[in-house]
Amino acid sequence: MTEPILSVRDLVVKFSLRGQILTAIRGASLDLYPGETLAIVGESGSGKSVFTKTWIGMLDANGWVDSGSILFEGKDLAKFTREREWLTIRGKKIAMVFQDPMTALNPLRTVGMQIQEALELHQDMRGEQAKARTIEILSEVGIDIPEVRYHQYPHEFSGGMRQRVVIAIAVACNPRILICDEPTTALDVTIQAQILELIRDLQRKMGATLVYITHDLGVVANVADRVAVMYAGEIIEYGTVDEIFFDPRHPYTWALLSSLPQLGIKGQPLYSIAGTPPNLFTDIQGDAFAPRNPNALKIDSVRRPPFFQVSPTHYAKTWLLDPRAPKVEPPETIRALRSKYERYAQ
Amino acid sequence: MSQKELQVIQAIEDEALFTFAEFDPEAAERVGYSDYSYWGSTLKIFFKNKTVIFFLILMASLILFATIQPYLPNQKSSTKIHVSPVTGHPLQNQEPSKEHWFGTNVIGQDLWARIWSGTRTSLLIAIIVGIWEVCFGIFIGAIWGYVRQLDAFMTEAYNVINNIPTTILLMLLAYILRPSFRTMVIAMCATGWLGMARFVRNQIVIIRDREYNLASRCLGTPTSRIITKNLLPYLVSVIVMRIALSIPGTIGWEVFLTYIGLGLPIDTPSLGNLLNEGRQVMMAPALRYQLIFPAVVLSVITISFYVLGNAFADASDPRNHY
Amino acid sequence: MLKYSLKRLLQSLITVFIVITLVFLLMRLLPEEGYFGDGYDKLTPEQRENILRKFGLLDPWYVQLKNFYSSLLKGDLGKSIIYRPDVPVIDIIKLKIPYSMTFGLAAIAVSLLFGLSMGIHTARNKGRFWDKIWSGYVVFINAVPAAVYLLFIQLYITGLKYKGRSIFPMLFNRHNPRSWILPLISMSLGGIAGYALWMRRYMVDQLNQDYIRLARAKGMSEKQIMVKHVMRNAFVPMAQYLPASILLTISGSIYIESLYSIPGMGGLLVDVIQRQDNVMVQALVLIYSSLGIWGLFLGDLLMAIFDPRIRLEKKEGAR
Repeated sequence: MTEPILSVRDLVVKFSLRGQILTAIRGASLDLYPGETLAIVGESGSGKSVFTKTWIGMLDANGWVDSGSILFEGKDLAKFTREREWLTIRGKKIAMVFQDPMTALNPLRTVGMQIQEALELHQDMRGEQAKARTIEILSEVGIDIPEVRYHQYPHEFSGGMRQRVVIAIAVACNPRILICDEPTTALDVTIQAQILELIRDLQRKMGATLVYITHDLGVVANVADRVAVMYAGEIIEYGTVDEIFFDPRHPYTWALLSSLPQLGIKGQPLYSIAGTPPNLFTDIQGDAFAPRNPNALKIDSVRRPPFFQVSPTHYAKTWLLDPRAPKVEPPETIRALRSKYERYAQ
Repeated sequence: MSQKELQVIQAIEDEALFTFAEFDPEAAERVGYSDYSYWGSTLKIFFKNKTVIFFLILMASLILFATIQPYLPNQKSSTKIHVSPVTGHPLQNQEPSKEHWFGTNVIGQDLWARIWSGTRTSLLIAIIVGIWEVCFGIFIGAIWGYVRQLDAFMTEAYNVINNIPTTILLMLLAYILRPSFRTMVIAMCATGWLGMARFVRNQIVIIRDREYNLASRCLGTPTSRIITKNLLPYLVSVIVMRIALSIPGTIGWEVFLTYIGLGLPIDTPSLGNLLNEGRQVMMAPALRYQLIFPAVVLSVITISFYVLGNAFADASDPRNHY
Repeated sequence: MLKYSLKRLLQSLITVFIVITLVFLLMRLLPEEGYFGDGYDKLTPEQRENILRKFGLLDPWYVQLKNFYSSLLKGDLGKSIIYRPDVPVIDIIKLKIPYSMTFGLAAIAVSLLFGLSMGIHTARNKGRFWDKIWSGYVVFINAVPAAVYLLFIQLYITGLKYKGRSIFPMLFNRHNPRSWILPLISMSLGGIAGYALWMRRYMVDQLNQDYIRLARAKGMSEKQIMVKHVMRNAFVPMAQYLPASILLTISGSIYIESLYSIPGMGGLLVDVIQRQDNVMVQALVLIYSSLGIWGLFLGDLLMAIFDPRIRLEKKEGAR
């Protein structure tokens, strides 16, 4: 296998809130390979956004990387402290697209200027040249009559158009990694597909590595090569899209997939995961999902499970994969999914 | 699988651990966190601030003292002109002494007694005006926000009145009505309520149109409940803040009106009057105590109320309840 | 933009008309002795009636209003009664406005310079030492009535002596520049506190906006973000009130002008009220109350230039 472009090991991120310490990321590890599209999924508060924000040093002021490493181009980003160090990475090597395009642009500056700013910062372009390139980028992200649009303000753009502008800003500098933090959540369903398409095209053109953060499993199935599932600040399972969707091993992944409305059976209530995610202010013993897991083992409350290998590309963090553990069948919906897939594969 | 992970697995020899634990649905629910209470957080943040505690104690003791001062033993009258038993002349401009703690003024009245009497007068005006501001402001604001047909008209009316500088309006009213306690109160009541009315109007428009309230109404929540749950907590904190902040404001206006000669009659001691009396003798360094004592008391009062009002506003803002 | 300006102009004209009418009607309530000059007590009731008739004050109110407007359109604000008998109001204020405006404009410049830098500095160093010191200053200036601290400044700073002479003279003198400094500083104290407070608040607001996050993710340094995004956006809402404060410098500062004996407009209103010169009171109140409206009109135009959203959107509710 090729060398990872970015490699995160045992990352711990803490926040100080109301005088208490909250551990948002509890030892997450992940490898990112050049040119791939990885989706990070998980429910709200699982730490998806925080996890990726540490790659560009954009944690809120009350948060910090407590331990662990983030290796990128031979440097450990987790050790960066000064702004000057981050400015060599942010926007230039690793760029980010945020969730809400309605508020992501400065309302008082023209759209053109906001894209051009990025070019001037990282590409060393000035004046007319930068302007010409900006107009080019605008048309690349699918904005008609870019010469006119260049001079317009964000409020003259629709939500989908604004997201195109935000994407234009992110890709303006040919970043090696593009992080898309729920890029379509705030948009109309009809626009969502267009934006996903656009991101995929741009990625192909640039040869960038793409990271999607989402809780929309439909999006994941469409765009991703690999999937990492996050729960309570940990990556608990990762693998290729097929492996995660059709052969999931972690009880949380089972639960997550079972709650997909598309998999519900007519006439039966939709599945929902019992309970609530754990309180990150407290020190979590063992497996964080255990209290909500009907198949929890006794060891789950004592020790945190390691990653067990399922296949060379598929790992899961659950004691159920230990040879000594009793055999537990995945829920019916998951099994149905798998058999459907097997039939389809033949 | 890394070497370390293998070791972890091998280290566990207790096979019994690999059996099912009992699933307790209630335990699953228990792990979440929601111990938030609006007033709890507000008060906690408010009282955690050491400056707040300091000013709270200062303010409470000042008000308490100003209230009970006349009933304490050995207090002098604030209007009586003291006469020297030896010469029979009035004890004018006596510097602070055992007999007159803060000295006497130009006509021989006891400054200590006058300051506390003045504090009572000024606070009384301020509190009346503050309460009026809140009541009338809420009343007008409620009509303004509630009756849609009136909105455009009231908004224009607001802009008209708001465009006239308060100083001008106050001076004019005080001039027309002739100086007295009542004039002072009426003039200030006539100008102060505008801000409150506008605030309440905006809140009601929000209640009407904000999505969470719309959603709440769609779920069948009666308007009365929306008002008590979504508007009232906010309103109560604003009322507390408004009254607290209207006190330094009102005292400031009183000083202003007195300064330009439209204040209370001289025989009613108030902080503004005392300051003005002090100003008239300030060029004589020996008599400056007549300016300094009232100025210090006045500043302590206005600063305490201002700080407390603002601190409360900060504490009651849910965005600060992180 | 043109349509918006015209609409606002018309609106302002109507508002000015309403305000002037209201003020004029309010003026009918002024104390009657303000029309007689010094010898009010000695006049017989008949003489009083004659004088009132001469002023047209015994006419029905609508006739008075009509006469008032027709002379106002000719630029006639009436003649002083007591302050300087029979001198047209315009001639009196013509001499006084330059003093007030010069001091006022200088004070605005000083306030903007110090207030904005203070606001920017404290917003960037929230919760640190200087932030606390500056906010102490803001609290003091806002809470304590201006009369109190202005008096003490005059009292003690003019007491500072160098080689036996006061560094800052106690009274204003047109020909002594040193006597301009203290009034100017005193006048700016409030403005500095105000601008600093609002600038800090708007900066903090802006810093919490999403677009700042994007600017950061773009790879801009904190400094660039401050200069190119935050400061500009934070200043826009403040720019709205700038024209009004510039226009209102005409009215002068009541405290400063009376403390330092500056022959400006601020002292004038107090003088004519104390001496009960009704015509002067009326003229001044009219001028001041319409200034605010024109100031806000200009402010709205300025905002529309800065903020492209305003030109298109319908303005909602009251300001």
